[in-house]
Formats: sequence, structure tokens, C-alpha cells
Amino acid sequence: MSALKDCEFLVKRARELVSEDPCAAKAWLITARTLYPADFNIQYEMYTIERNAERTASAGRLLYDMFINFPDQPIVWREISVITGALRSDCQDKHALFLRGLFETLPGRVQCEMLLKATEQCFNTLEKAEMLLLLLKRFPESVVQHGVNLGETLLEAEVSESLETPVNCFRKLFVCEVLPLIINNVDMRLPASLLQKYILKAAEFYIGYVARGPSSDGQMQGAPEVGSLTSPGASRGPQRYVIDGLSEKSSMVVEPWERLLDILAVVGARCEWQGDKGQRSYVDMLQRVKELCRYLPSLEGETRSRCCSQVVICSVLVLFRSAFLYASTVQPALFQGLNVLSSGPWILLEDLSLVYSDVEVNRGPVKHAHKKRKMADGREKPMSSDDEEGLGKGRGRHILVNKAEMPGWSETLESFRTARESWDLLHSHESLETEFKKICASWKTDSWLWFRIFLTDMIIYQGQYRKALSSLHQMAAVQQPQPGQQSPSGQASLESSRALIQQASCHYALGEYRMACEKLLDVVSGLVPPTHEPVRTLEEQGKVKNKSRKGSDLRLLPCTSKAILPFCLQLMLACFKLRVFTDSRDDLSLGHVVVLLQHDWPQGESLFLKALEKICQQASFQYENFFNYVTNIDMLEEFAYLRTPEGGRIQLELLPNQGMLIKHHTVTRGITKGVKEDFRLAMERQVSRCGENLLGVLHRFCLNEKIMIIQSLP
Amino acid sequence: MGDIRQSLLPRDVLSAAKELLYHLDIYICNLVQSGRQPPQVDTKTLELVEEFILHSPKDRNIQPRRMSALQELQLLEIMCSCFQEQSRDAVRQLMFSALFSLQGNQADESRMALLSKLVSMAVAVGRVPILECAATWLQRTHRVYCVRLARVLVDDYCSLVPGSVSTLQNIHSSSPRFCCQFITAVTTLYDLTTEDLTPPLELLQMIVSWLQDDPHLVLVTLLNTQLSGSQPISSLDLTPLGGLVRWCVKAPLAYRRDKKQVLTNGTAESEMEAGPLFSTLHLSVLQVLMLLPNILNEKGLFGRLALLQPETLATLTSDLSRLLDRADKHAHAGPASSHALSQLVLDRLAQALQVALANGALLCSREDLRAICSRLPHNNLLQLVMSGPVMYYDNIHTTPLMAFSPHSGHSPIASHPTHQPLASHPSPHPQYPAQPYLSTMPFPYRPNH
Repeated sequence: MSALKDCEFLVKRARELVSEDPCAAKAWLITARTLYPADFNIQYEMYTIERNAERTASAGRLLYDMFINFPDQPIVWREISVITGALRSDCQDKHALFLRGLFETLPGRVQCEMLLKATEQCFNTLEKAEMLLLLLKRFPESVVQHGVNLGETLLEAEVSESLETPVNCFRKLFVCEVLPLIINNVDMRLPASLLQKYILKAAEFYIGYVARGPSSDGQMQGAPEVGSLTSPGASRGPQRYVIDGLSEKSSMVVEPWERLLDILAVVGARCEWQGDKGQRSYVDMLQRVKELCRYLPSLEGETRSRCCSQVVICSVLVLFRSAFLYASTVQPALFQGLNVLSSGPWILLEDLSLVYSDVEVNRGPVKHAHKKRKMADGREKPMSSDDEEGLGKGRGRHILVNKAEMPGWSETLESFRTARESWDLLHSHESLETEFKKICASWKTDSWLWFRIFLTDMIIYQGQYRKALSSLHQMAAVQQPQPGQQSPSGQASLESSRALIQQASCHYALGEYRMACEKLLDVVSGLVPPTHEPVRTLEEQGKVKNKSRKGSDLRLLPCTSKAILPFCLQLMLACFKLRVFTDSRDDLSLGHVVVLLQHDWPQGESLFLKALEKICQQASFQYENFFNYVTNIDMLEEFAYLRTPEGGRIQLELLPNQGMLIKHHTVTRGITKGVKEDFRLAMERQVSRCGENLLGVLHRFCLNEKIMIIQSLP
Repeated sequence: MGDIRQSLLPRDVLSAAKELLYHLDIYICNLVQSGRQPPQVDTKTLELVEEFILHSPKDRNIQPRRMSALQELQLLEIMCSCFQEQSRDAVRQLMFSALFSLQGNQADESRMALLSKLVSMAVAVGRVPILECAATWLQRTHRVYCVRLARVLVDDYCSLVPGSVSTLQNIHSSSPRFCCQFITAVTTLYDLTTEDLTPPLELLQMIVSWLQDDPHLVLVTLLNTQLSGSQPISSLDLTPLGGLVRWCVKAPLAYRRDKKQVLTNGTAESEMEAGPLFSTLHLSVLQVLMLLPNILNEKGLFGRLALLQPETLATLTSDLSRLLDRADKHAHAGPASSHALSQLVLDRLAQALQVALANGALLCSREDLRAICSRLPHNNLLQLVMSGPVMYYDNIHTTPLMAFSPHSGHSPIASHPTHQPLASHPSPHPQYPAQPYLSTMPFPYRPNH
């Protein structure tokens, strides 16, 4: 009998017995092992029995023996890789738990050795990194030796695999797992430059993570090409999010901003940044670096550069976090995991609630603005030298919101303010600006639509409308609604008209009324008029009237047909009203104003009376669209009165082609009588239209008379 | 001493016994304090014990005094508390031996009777000091008497009162020493030769569960004993290993005989349950044997102390060959199952021999093994064990290890007279590795949280 045959015989007998009498099988194997202690198969069989029965302690003991005695057996390595696989996975099934328990029974020295050897045998970078990470987590002393190398390997892998988004598996592992181990290890001595590089890598990841767009089919959002900037309109439900190469669970990051703050606190302490170590909020942080900034000019050399880094890094984090918070309220559909339905998209526009007030008050919101520009504060630099408009206005402008419609209004406005402050801080010194631009370039922030939205709103807020328009043009280019991408609600298409609406608002602010109307009529053509006219609450009306404000405020409006159509009507009114109430005569514009004043009636009552006054002065009025679009009973009454002797026998030409008729048949009484009759009939017919949906009528007005409206403006 | 006897005589039986125990306590305390070595209880005192506690007649003329059952119970209670309250171990031991050491006289019968009752009571009420003294007693006393004590306990707890076995079960935690000696005694007692000498299932179950909980239990006596070479003649074995091996090996044949009988009773339960129990027990025995090299090496006894005697094994194999022969002849009903049982017997024997040999519990050569097993029927494993492993290693899957084979080193022991296992072998290397893997590589087990 050869030894091999003996061993085969012994193992075979054990296998035969294992199901009916496991004790007997083990007795056979114990015997076999005393006969042939160097035979691997016998020990493996023993191990298999214990492992299959999931007896943690005895299986661990046998695995240990095999690891020590047969370190070169491929089967042992296969077994170890199964176990380390279970350690890496987040699977919670019984077998995975058993395998993890098995590993725990092994002595630390052996665990360490196993992980190191298993790491050596990995060819896949991610697996290798995960394996090494297991080692680092268990044995902090190994961090010193392997920590930075592992980190660099991961960052290199990202480059060599040409992953375009920072939210990738390597970065996730680096930022969430490796980096905390490295920076929290007291035995590690790292240069400040490396720590700064790492905090920026972490920030880029966390920002990319929170600002990730909704992905389709659980796939990663593609590279930030132009197409992906398009406002997504499709699926909106809570989605699964998986980073390519990771499981769903490990793709999840809990409280990303808090984690980033944690890392920042440690890095700050290690880089010997100024300020107390206990700073716990982004807002505190901004206050601190603001103070620090004052001393910046007096600093020199290394102290200065350290201070610079602190200011830039802290401000950058505050800026992007606040800008994100703002953008996530204003355009939640851009991001994954936000409840879009809770609060719709919002759009920052000129406040037009004073449009019905008297002309003089509201006149020229822009024209003299530059005269108010203040340069009193020497430290304050102009925002930008190429923009000459409305600088002074940037300070202290109000942003109005309907507080009932926007529950988190104060936080949103606060975020907007904080983001602007951070931006200003980053542009307060040349050295800071240079560093900031470097960061933006490496993160490719130009391609972040949400950040563009914030920036545009900030520029609008600062009153730099010309600059805002060019930014909006770019945005409109990528936001062109594409066929097939529209959602049935029609809301998505409106979101994508955001740029157009803001353009209209900016043109208006610049006094470019024709452009303003052109843009807004484009918008209106895409709107669906509400079937019911919204009921205005008394409170809403009252608020507008009670406040005496200057006309340079902004308003956050819901980006919905319901809110935008009224805004467009008000904006048109604002454009025309300045033109109408001058000394020159322009019946067409005056007619438009009368049509538009019907909206929100009786708010525009005083303006309407003013219009009547003008008509009386002129003693005649010609507006052939009158009966198409004026259905307001009060107005109809007033116009009917104007024709009477008491009303001053004003000559009204409100029917199509009526003017021609009158000119041709002045002498013929009968015909004049016929005209009178026509007017009376038209009036009567019009009274019956009073119940018509006014917004529907006005919407039709915008669509049908688009060309005429635009042409009537210079 | 005469004075004491005079003072005891007029008393009633119980108070006389009580008074004597009190006197004995003081006497032995003084004895221990005097520091005389070895402390020896004098004959007069022993006689007083026999007269007033064991009530053995001093001479034939005097009618022996007897105690009522109630008085006896009271006396046992007094003794229990007496041992419980005595804090000094040496005093307790001397007292116990003054009371219960066999003297080879006619008082021994009542001595055994009282001892059995006392130990049984100590088990029932958990009197650890008494169990500890009894453990020592079981180590020093001739095995015939040890077996008698064991039998009383088995009868009391396994046969008489159903369900009381759990009380006996507890002794493994209250007094492991006593428990170990108890196992040795019952494995000596029940040699499976007759129906009466087959262990009751309750007992078997209990022992199996003890060993599963802690295999070291059967080695407690070995671990606690200073081996001076002067083990009392005919005392129990140092460990129950020999007895347990005999149980496991013979069980398939013994319980088959059982089956024939139970068939007439209509219950086949014992056969159903005994099989797996013995399989488990056999595995436990092998696992205990695997523990030995470390323990024996620590005591410097590896290769010098045979825990299994070749003589005992020879008796076992000759028993087996007779039983197998008979089983073969009577196997009319199912020769196939009979063959399977025989093979099971031989497999277990071969396994026990091999593992014992490899772990230094059995000190003999393969040649000796062949002699011991010569009359047994053929069995593949036994054949393999008798011839030993093939020494050249040709397993392509593994790298041969240089220092492994413990068997290559067997020649010094083989040259040794196997019937003198305790003869001082010069063994210069007590760390002689039987299991190079295990002995040189202690397993630092990490508890599982």
C-alpha cells in the first residue's frame, strides 16, 4: 500500500460516513491525521466537515493549522479568498456571518499575515485595496507602512482607468475609508501640502456625491458632457444609486457634509490652522476665515501661505455647500434623492408687485442706478470691471418669497447669502482668487449646471444683468427642451424655460423692453393656462399694497405655469406702461395696457382710470382688438359710458375695420347709425363673455398678437 | 482514650456518635498542629470509631448497638456539616480517612455502607468537601470497593429515582476530581460482559455530555496527582481512558445482545440511542488522547507513562476475538449487519490504538500491536495501523515536511520492555514531539465575541 492510497482510503471512509455519523467520520480523520500528519487532503477534509457544519471555533482551529502547515496549497488560498471576500462584502446571510466569525477566531498575527498574503494575490486594484483596507482597519500599526501608499494607489487608479467623475469607487474608498485612517493615525507625519491635496480630493468627492444627478436604471451618471447638463425631466422617484464597482450599500454615504467637516477639522488641526479646533459648523467656519482674512495683507512667507490655504479651502467648502443648498431648493430635479414634489422649482426674477402702482414711482428702475454706486468703502473692490451696471444695487436688495409656499425660505435665503459672502471673500485678494480658480479648474466647476444656476442668480442679485444674460444664453443653449424628454405635466418644459424667463426679467431690468417681451412671449407660448383663475387671498393683496418699497427688489417665484403666466403678464404691462403714459399718443400700446390691466383686477384700477383720462384727453381711441380681449365688465361699462354725451362723446374705434367705414361714410347718417348699432351689439355680446376664463383670454392674446406686441415696442 | 470510651458508653447511640465526632475533630486538629509526620490516627481512636459510629461489635458477647433509620439520617447530617465546617483541608482528609479507610476487618462492611450513604447524600445536597475527600478515597482504595461505591451512586441516581440523574450530573462542576474518579470507577465496573454490567443509558448520556462539555474532565486526576511511582496496588486507573476505550469498542456487540433481549420486551429504544452516544463518546476519547502530548510533556512524562496498558488491551482483544467469533456463529438473521458491526468494533479498536500510540498514551511497538491483535478478524484500518504508515511520502499534493513523523522515533520505546511503562526511561528529550504541529504550535484561541 502506498501512502497516497492509504490517505485516499482514509478520506474516502470519512466521506462515506459524514452524513450518517459525523462523529465516526471525524474519528476516522483524527486517526488518519496521526498516521499521515503531512497529508493535506486529510486536514482539508476535517476542515470541510467543520466548515460545512458552520462550527466556528473548530473550523477556525483547522484553518489555522492548514495555514501554518500548508502555506502553499492553492486550496487553502481559495478558502482564504472566500473568507476575505466575505469580510469585504456587506452581505448579512448566515454563511457570510459564519465566515467572518471564522476569521475572528484566528490569532491577530495570522489574520494580519493572511490579509497581506491575500492582498498580494489580488490583481484587481479595487479588490486589492479593499483587502489592504481590511488590514489597516484591524491593525492600526500597519497604517504607517501602507496607508499613504494605498491612498496614492487609489488616486492613481482613478487616473489610469480614466474615470471622469470624482464619484467613483476608488475615490469613495480613498475618501471614506483610507483617508480617515491616515489622518487620524497619531503616528503618521504628513506634509501640509499632501493633507491639503487630500482634503480637496475629499471635498470634490463629497460635493460630487451630494450633487449627483438622478440616474436612470441605477447607472452612474455619465461623464459631465454637455448632454448631461440638460435638465432631467424623466423619472423622479427615489432611486437606487450605485457607484460602479461597489455594492448599493457601500455606494451610500451618510451625512456627506458632516463627514467632510470631520475631515476638515482633523486636517486643520494637523496643518496648524488658526482658530479653535472645536469649530463645528460651516457658518462658524466662514466667520473665522473672514476675520482671518483681515490679517492676510500683514502676513508674510510661510504664515501667509498657510493662512491663504486655510481661507481658500474653508471658503470653498462653505461656498459649494451653500450654493448646493440654494440650488437644491431652486431646482431640486437636478439632484438625486431630493423630494421634488415637496417644493417645486423656484426662479429668481424682478419683483413686479408694484406694477399696478403709479408710473412715476416705478419709473426707471435701472436708468439711474449707476449713479447710486458707492465706492465709499475703500476695501471693497468692484465686482468686475467689465460690468458697469447696477453695482450698488447688489447690497441690501430684498428677495421676496411667498413664505407659505416655501417652507424653508429662510434657510434658502440664508444659504444664498452665505454662498455670496464666500464668493466675495474668495475674490477679495488676488492670491485667494488665483487659488480658487485653480480649484475650480481642476474640479471642472464650469460643467456643474447647479453651480451655474447659483452663479447666475448671484449675478442677477448683484445687478450685473448684462453678464447674467450671457450666462443665461449659455444655459438656455443646453436647456433647450428636447423632444421626447418632456414630462406630461408640462412642468419640466417650464423648468427648462428657466433661462428664458430670467432673460426676459434681465432685459426688462436693463430697460430693453422689446427683448424682454420677445423672450417672455416665447415662454408664454409654451405655457398652459390654468383652467381656473387662481383665487387671490386678501393677505396677498394687502401685503403688496402696504409696503412702500423701491422697485429694485427680487422675487423667488415658483417655476410653474400658474405663477409664471401672471408674471409674464405683469412684465408685459410693466414694459408698456412706461411707454403709454407719456405725452405722445400710442393707441396700440394703450390698448395692450388696457387688456393687460384686466389681470389681477381691480389692482390695476387706478392705472385704468389713468388710461381713460388719457383717452378723454385724446377724445378718440382706436384699438381694433378690443372686443377680442377685453371682457372685464367694469371696463366695458366705462368704455360704453365714454361714448355717451355725459362721457364726453369720445370717438371709439374698437371694431375691426370700423375706422375705414367711418372715413368712407361720414356723411351718411344711416351708416353711422349702423356703426352705432354694431358697437351696441358688440358690447352686448361682450357682456355675455364676462364669465370666460380670463387667463385663457390673455394667453390667447399673447399667442395671437405676439408679432404685433413686439412690433409696438421700439 | 479509655476515659472517652467510658464517657461514651452511657450515652444513647446518636449522642455518643456525635460526641465522638466532636472528639475526633479536636484530636485531629491537635495532631495536625503538632506537626508530626506523617500524622497518624492511633488504633485506639480507630477502634472507637468502629464501636460508636460504625457500631461494629467489639466482641461477640456484646450485642451491637443499632441506630434507627432516623438516627442514622441525623448522624449523616451531622457528619455533612462537620466536614462542611472544617476549613482545613488536612484535618478533613485525616478525619475522612479515620472514618472510612478500609481496615481489612469486619467493620469494613458497615464502613462501606455508611460511606455510600454519606457520599450519596453529599451528591444530593452538593457538599463539595465530602466529594473532594471521596475523590481521594477513590484514588487510594482497592478498585473492588471503589466500584461498589460507584454502583450505589448509579443505583441511587440512575435506577431508583427516575429524573434524579440531573442531580448527579452537577458533580462535574461541583467536584471535577470526584467526577473523574467516578467515571473511572463506572467504566471499571461496567465491563459489558453481562446485561447487569452494561451501563444504563442515563449514565452513558451523562458521561457523553460531560466529555462534550470538557474533554479535560477525564484527565483531572492525572493533572492533579504527583506521580511518585507509588500508586496503591490495585487501585483504579489514573484515567478512565482504558475503560472508555473498552466501552466504545465493545459496545456494538454488547448492545446487539441487548437488542435481542429488548425485542422480547417490545422496546428497542436502548439500541436506537446507544449507537450514536457511543460514536460521540468514541470521538471524545480520541480527542482526549490528542490532548495528552502537551499535558504529558509539561509533566515530563511523555513516553514514560502508559495511560493504556498493553496488558489491558490484550485482555480486550482476546475478549473481542471470542465475542466476534461467537457473533459470527450466531449471525443467522443478518450476516451483513453482523459483519458491519464487527467491522465497526475493529475500526474503533484500530482508531483507539493508533491515536493512543501517536499521542503517547500507549507505549509499545507496532510489532507488539500485531501480537496483541493477532487473533482478530481482518480489518483494513487495523491492518494499516498494525503495519504503520508508509514512510516514504509520495503525495503529489503536498510538500513533505521534514520533522514530522513521530513514528520514526518509536524505536527507543519499542526497545523498552512494554510491561514496565513507569520504569525510569532516561528520555533526554521529554518534549519529544508526537504531534509536531500541535505541540510546537500552541493555538492561541481567540474567543468569539
